Amino acid sequence: MTEFKVDLTNCDKEPIHILGKVQGHGFLIGVNSKDQLINYISENTAAYINEDAVKYLGKRIDELEARMNISNYGNELKLSQIITLGLGNGFESINPFYIELDGKAFNLIIKNAAGIYLLEFEPCDKKEEFDVQKTIGRSISEILGESRLHSMLKTAAREIKKIIQYDRVMIYQFGEDGHGEVVAEEKNIELEPFLGMHYPASDIPKQARELYKINLTRIIADVDMDCPAIISNQGQDAPLDLTHSVLRAVSPIHIQYLKNMGVAASFSISLLSHGELWGLVACHNYSPKFIDYKAREASKLIGQILSPALEYRIGEEDNDKFGLINESVSTLIKYIEKESDIVSALTANAITINNVCASTGAVLVFDSKIISIGLTPNNDEIKEIVKWVIDNSQDMVFYTHRLPAMYPAAEKYSDFASGLFACILSRELSEMILFFKPEQKQSIIWGGNPEKAVEAASDGSLQLFPRKSFDKWTETVRYSSVKWGRGEIAALINLREQVIYQINRKANEIRQLNERLKLAYEELDTFSFTVSHDLRTPLSSIKSYTELLLLTNESLDDNAKKILERINACSDRMALLIKEILNYSSYSRNEIKLEKINMRQLIEGVKAEIDESLQPQNLEFIIGNTPDISGDAVMIGQVFANLLNNAVKYSSKAGKAVVKVEGYVSENETIYTVADNGIGIDIKYHNRVFELFKRMDNVKDFEGTGVGLAIVKRIMEKHQGRIWFESQLGKGTIFYVSFKNEPIG
Amino acid sequence: MNRLDKVDIFIVEDNEDFSFLIEKAIDHIDKELSLKIVDNGLTALEVLKHYDQEGTRPRIILLDLNLPGLSGLDLLREIKGIEFLKQVPIILFTTSDNPKDVRAATEYGANAYVTKPHGYIALIDCLRSLFNFWFTHHTTIK
Repeated sequence: MTEFKVDLTNCDKEPIHILGKVQGHGFLIGVNSKDQLINYISENTAAYINEDAVKYLGKRIDELEARMNISNYGNELKLSQIITLGLGNGFESINPFYIELDGKAFNLIIKNAAGIYLLEFEPCDKKEEFDVQKTIGRSISEILGESRLHSMLKTAAREIKKIIQYDRVMIYQFGEDGHGEVVAEEKNIELEPFLGMHYPASDIPKQARELYKINLTRIIADVDMDCPAIISNQGQDAPLDLTHSVLRAVSPIHIQYLKNMGVAASFSISLLSHGELWGLVACHNYSPKFIDYKAREASKLIGQILSPALEYRIGEEDNDKFGLINESVSTLIKYIEKESDIVSALTANAITINNVCASTGAVLVFDSKIISIGLTPNNDEIKEIVKWVIDNSQDMVFYTHRLPAMYPAAEKYSDFASGLFACILSRELSEMILFFKPEQKQSIIWGGNPEKAVEAASDGSLQLFPRKSFDKWTETVRYSSVKWGRGEIAALINLREQVIYQINRKANEIRQLNERLKLAYEELDTFSFTVSHDLRTPLSSIKSYTELLLLTNESLDDNAKKILERINACSDRMALLIKEILNYSSYSRNEIKLEKINMRQLIEGVKAEIDESLQPQNLEFIIGNTPDISGDAVMIGQVFANLLNNAVKYSSKAGKAVVKVEGYVSENETIYTVADNGIGIDIKYHNRVFELFKRMDNVKDFEGTGVGLAIVKRIMEKHQGRIWFESQLGKGTIFYVSFKNEPIG
Repeated sequence: MNRLDKVDIFIVEDNEDFSFLIEKAIDHIDKELSLKIVDNGLTALEVLKHYDQEGTRPRIILLDLNLPGLSGLDLLREIKGIEFLKQVPIILFTTSDNPKDVRAATEYGANAYVTKPHGYIALIDCLRSLFNFWFTHHTTIK
């Protein structure tokens, strides 16, 4: 990055408006508004009174006037009367007041400068009566007739050149950093073009730029002319405020600057946009050339009319460019409103976050995810950028077109990420949307090397040595992108607000859902209790009555006895189902208590239970390696009881049943397998095996409720483990359960 | 209240079916055993207080947990607070297998906690073994 280390900061210090000198083509008299006495007078007034001007300090204006050969075309108004006239109607209404002095034409321009009436006399051309309205009326309709900003500026330059007849008229636009660029030019054919040239900010010092906002035109008629001093009887501490003066002399540095450029006369018109100095119409003549007050006023009027037109055209062109962007933002917002998932709404549709500005890459960092679209830095780099933005941006929106200059790590990927726009969604969660613009290797053509803008004098002072070389000096600016435009910034800020609104809305929805879920759980509790008590009790009675009947009524025939036994069996089955449901729901609701489980002991225990309950015949039960795991001992016991029970049960009809359980430790998991050579599971049920009450077609002959594997799956989910299986009909099944090695929770 | 006959087994049970079945089962076990069944906790307490006044007491009390009027656990505490009845074995006889209930019952001084068996045959077996233990081996109560 180029820094303008050498800057004409001296210029910034000089109090220009109170220089106390006038340009030599006219003269100035300062009259105190209270007593009409002369407080200030420029030395060169002497030429018109044939006497030393200093003599008239403290005298009445009439006494000075008496020494002048002054006439004003028959209406014999005295200067004091002209002042009175101006006071009545406003000085603007009488300016310029045409007079003749020693037979030469002069414009008298009167201003009020903090209690001092400034009477400024400057020469004018009496023969050419300048018709302001006619001239500029035509010019302005030409200028405003142009539809594009660029041609409008070009026409403005041409029309102004016609009015003031200077050699070169440029439209000079200020950048954000204060440096200027020539964006339109109208010049005599033999002159070298300055169009496209850039000038460092120091060329027009800050307080000069402030003055341009007050005085909309400024003329330096001859850079070589001596500047007569303004003398005063008011002492050193009361310099005359020349802010509104038309004759004010210019800083010697600026004169030197113009001289170095080869310019003999200079004229400028301010262009304002939104109250700020947008640019200047800068006019150069290579020989001394004064511009008549009326022509200056005409130029000023063009500038004043051009300014709002500029604003309007800039706004219009921005609108054209960014209408499209706003449309994309609206589309994205519609997606978010419609879709439940914010991430996919912003990244997975036809319009994504990479379509809402002139970005070539966009990244959504949200919900612990990084989703990149287009050309972006990689995820690790994004994480670093996110951290840097959080640490360095006070605001929720941050943007730069020179990321590598602020964040050197970005040099690596400056090709496609020199410009960054970050919309922070949440500081706490480090969530944001990032937009990237590629590097644009801009060539800036400077009017001279900005680094050598100043040359030091032998005594080390920099004053009076503004740069002399105005040869083209091309600089390539690396590590920068096209700037973020007004429309883009507005669109992205809007997008951010909408996304945050939608995130909050969704968070509320989730909160409400949570409440409803809680209620549902409470209902489930009640339900479980109802099932356990109210349902179990009458069922038990049904069974008991049946048994009572069977036991006590000897007269029952065989058929009746058979039916009663069926009733009995059905109530047994129903009791089992109820027990299993309660079992299942209790595993869903209970918190797990983690502990180290001795797996050898656990499996031996399960085997003993199976031996007792199923009393398997012809079974080879193999226990392999049994690495310990951490989990809830009761629940894990349930897992292995179910899996091993199933394995033994469904292999019981094989000629020789073989059930094998073993575990092994991998990098992250401990995986247990339970293998049998039983009936197997049909491939078409693979994804339904773990559903509640789901029993396969081929298990009709085996007892069971279809709850066991659902419980196993539930428990594995609670342990953040996994369960899956491989199976072949008629050959056998292998169930896999894996547990995380690291403690869960 | 009239003068009370001597009662062997005092049962507090609000479920009609179970009352009926338990009566049948006890009859099946031993026709000589006398039995009183009350279906409300408060009524049960009244009756037991009456026994206290009369100076007679059952040989065993079976309590359900969920009872109208006064819960099984509260009734248990009340009975254990009556000096004369303190010695009578009280068996919690209920469907609940909630460990909390079991713990509370033990704390309140229940002498046993038995979950109701599923089916009539199981009920007979269960009651027979209960009576066998408390009437034959446990001889503190006459």
